Amino acid sequence: MKTKDILCDSGAFISLTTSCLDHILYFLAEKFKVRFIIPPNVEYETVTRPLQAGLKQHSFSAIKIKEAIKDGIITKVDIGAEYLMQRVMRSANSMFYVKGRPLQLIQSGEAEMIALAKELGVRDILIDERTTRLLIEAPISVRDHLADEFGINVMLDKKALLEFSALTQGMTAIRSSELVMMAYENGFFDHFDELKNEALEAALYKIKFSGCSLRFDEIDEYLRMVKWKPKRQ
Amino acid sequence: MKPLKELAFEILDAFKSRNQKRLRKLNDEILKEVTLDFSNTKYELAVFSYVLSKIVSKPRFLSRERVPSIRKIEDDIRDMAHVIGEVEEQIILDKFRKIEESISHLEQFDARFVRDLMSKGRLKAAATMYAQGISLGLASELTKIPKQDILDYAGRTMMFDRLKEEMPVKQRLKAARRILGGSE
Repeated sequence: MKTKDILCDSGAFISLTTSCLDHILYFLAEKFKVRFIIPPNVEYETVTRPLQAGLKQHSFSAIKIKEAIKDGIITKVDIGAEYLMQRVMRSANSMFYVKGRPLQLIQSGEAEMIALAKELGVRDILIDERTTRLLIEAPISVRDHLADEFGINVMLDKKALLEFSALTQGMTAIRSSELVMMAYENGFFDHFDELKNEALEAALYKIKFSGCSLRFDEIDEYLRMVKWKPKRQ
Repeated sequence: MKPLKELAFEILDAFKSRNQKRLRKLNDEILKEVTLDFSNTKYELAVFSYVLSKIVSKPRFLSRERVPSIRKIEDDIRDMAHVIGEVEEQIILDKFRKIEESISHLEQFDARFVRDLMSKGRLKAAATMYAQGISLGLASELTKIPKQDILDYAGRTMMFDRLKEEMPVKQRLKAARRILGGSE
């Protein structure tokens, strides 16, 4: 089986580790020969910073991610895609204008991930963060959301949109919730026997409450797909 | 947006009249501006308007024994309001630190939560900025709040449910199957 690369953002690892679902990474890596790759900034945010800054409440997650890096489940890749990163930042942060000013939407970490995917030719990204994912999937919905939130007219710079779309063309984003579903479909929850559907539901809720950009109705939709109706209290 | 000085004095007035609703409204107003056009001074004003609204909503902070601490906070806000928009940013930020010290002093008498009021205010601001539309990374970078804390907060809100998803779950799973297994 050929190894597949998935480029990951820090949010997905944070959601998975705080939900105690990080073993899904091991499970999928082994079963499907997946390599979860990260840019240096993701390691800094999820491992180095919490441990060095003494962020005790996040240290356990950091240790688990550090261990997954040591075990080769997560691979750090640093190829220096500075030029591409700047292009991603520039186009994303000049896509929308409010009151005549460009609206800054993303920062270097998020731009670095897209640039690295482009540079490596990796088209699949694991991202729990909402704004960057929506910019890739449906940038106009970001504009609509901003207009709703601020009650103002948000202007679109088509040139910047086209440049950003060209940089992200062909990329597919999945969230940690899709990893949970894939783990379920491939037996990760089977040891819970007759409770495996409840375990799936609980895992999806937990991942949502841990910050994965997932809607409640999407959880219901997932559960309908496995033909299981949760008992509502 | 109103000038910063005007906003600072409005915050002071609302705090002195123990007007929680007004402080929350000011917080909403300033925070929107922070997301659209960030500056450290605006961000601090947003955080303090929230923290002060929490203080006036808790009777334990407003008891007779706490009057000197409350007066000190009012004096510090007045000091800041007099110079905001007129002097360089660092001087204003130092004034904010003085207000922060006074608030910490007030809280020390009866600490009840692991996260103090100021940290809570900063986290709330960061999570709101993310909810309003900027990315998690940018919200974290501007506010210096770790992504982990923002995600934890965001996960307990309805922010993701308020946004229409363009791609149906079925399609996402199809993509996940293709990515992992090569088939759909």
